[in-house]
Amino acid sequence: MKFWEKLLSIDRRWIYVVIWVVVMIPLLMPFEIKPRAMPPVQMLFDYVDSMPEDKALVISIDYTPDTEPELHPMAISLLRHAFATKRKVGILAVATVMSVGLGESALRQVTEEFNSRATTREDSIIYGEDVVYWGWTTPFITVLLGMGERITNVFPVDYYGNRTDTLPIMRVLKNYDDMGIVVSIAGSSVPLSWVNYAHTQFGVHMGCGITAVSAADFYPYLNSGQFTGMLAGMKGAAEYEQLVSEKMVELGYDWSLPRKGTEAMSSQTAAHIAIMAFILIGNIAFFVTRRRKQ
Amino acid sequence: MTRRIPLILVLVLGIFGAVAFMIPHPAVRGVDEVMRNDVIRIITAFSLVLGVGSIIRHHLIKVRRKAEHWPFSYVTLIALAVSAIIGLFGGIDPDSPGILFRAGGVGRFLSNFHMQTLYENIMVPLAATMFSLLAFFMASAAYRAFRARNFEATLLLIAAFILMLGAVPLGRMLIKPLPAFAEWILTVPNTAAKRGIMFGVGLGTIATSLKIILGIERGWLGGGGK
Repeated sequence: MKFWEKLLSIDRRWIYVVIWVVVMIPLLMPFEIKPRAMPPVQMLFDYVDSMPEDKALVISIDYTPDTEPELHPMAISLLRHAFATKRKVGILAVATVMSVGLGESALRQVTEEFNSRATTREDSIIYGEDVVYWGWTTPFITVLLGMGERITNVFPVDYYGNRTDTLPIMRVLKNYDDMGIVVSIAGSSVPLSWVNYAHTQFGVHMGCGITAVSAADFYPYLNSGQFTGMLAGMKGAAEYEQLVSEKMVELGYDWSLPRKGTEAMSSQTAAHIAIMAFILIGNIAFFVTRRRKQ
Repeated sequence: MTRRIPLILVLVLGIFGAVAFMIPHPAVRGVDEVMRNDVIRIITAFSLVLGVGSIIRHHLIKVRRKAEHWPFSYVTLIALAVSAIIGLFGGIDPDSPGILFRAGGVGRFLSNFHMQTLYENIMVPLAATMFSLLAFFMASAAYRAFRARNFEATLLLIAAFILMLGAVPLGRMLIKPLPAFAEWILTVPNTAAKRGIMFGVGLGTIATSLKIILGIERGWLGGGGK
């Protein structure tokens, strides 16, 4: 059998081995990458950064553990951004109950990052005053429409079992009118439901964080202005991390916090190059063998 | 009668659901709020009972009949029971302990396994592992099937190359405007095509919904719409 024919019928396990190696090596020895924000990411960052101070950032954790590596860094960065700029934050999950643990994990991590370095009340993040985690309730249409009237009706208790009407933050965060923007982070089409029910009906600003593979579906909504900004895939997460990192340094929070999205970009870069190389080699082998047969 | 009542319910509630979305009058909004906050939630609670009951029944039958892969049914049932007990009585995390924490003996031992502990150590790695397998299959499929056989396939191949290269920093290092060009592909040609598809899907959804609300399409009642 000729070389190119052998190459065409190569055992797929060799391809798996190559992918495993090109993903693993950059994870163990990452090379330095400085992401540059594309317009959709910059638009979201600018809006969160400049929205009125009395308005809250609401993050809807609508992704599940399967897309955690790609989407969780977005939630972490958004929380860091909000806490560093002293915004009130509301967190919830509407899509599935499987998301609630990720919201808890992100909130705990970023709260600890700030509180472990805080020296005054101003620097601290206090649950119930600066941030609230409403948790999950169903069905999601009820949640999306009900939050336009009164959040405490939709979530009478928060994720930890506290009555929401006893939390100080809920006095200033009653419904969509008190939200600067809602960012739905999802591995599915849930952000579109947020647009349909929350943005269209109540006019709340929307942003989204989505997987790279589904990004194409969201561009029409971004172009129409229904999404104020968008974070697409690991690249979007890394770009937002970069902007937040620069902002935190500017505000005096020069903490060099871990940036999972940026760290994983080395691996993603290597994987993309490997897949492109596979496609190229596959096509060359295909055309060479076809010509020989002809 | 067994068919007429569901049909009437769908007709009335379907029209009301659509109308309430467009009429901001307090009277309509009030009824709509009751429907959304109370009625839908009660129906959803029933579906939870049905769902849990159905999965238990399904796996018990598999175990009893020793059907194919029946030992995995034990895994499902045990996982369901354990996570339900810990979820209901174990609390969320060490800061929010459940009633198991206050109990002695086995309860105290189980209280170490909060919902968040189970979630972060079992659910997250398992789900992420399953999803990451996709990278291997995609690489293999790209090598074997992604061929420039004709003009359309070549266009697809070129677009995929630009987007893949534009999505990583190497793209910018090789050709500076490449990420911006990749963004343009997504913003302009992709949006144009997507909008066309979305209009079609939207109109199709309206037509299908109307057929169901008006009782023309009755497949959901069972019996093939007869």
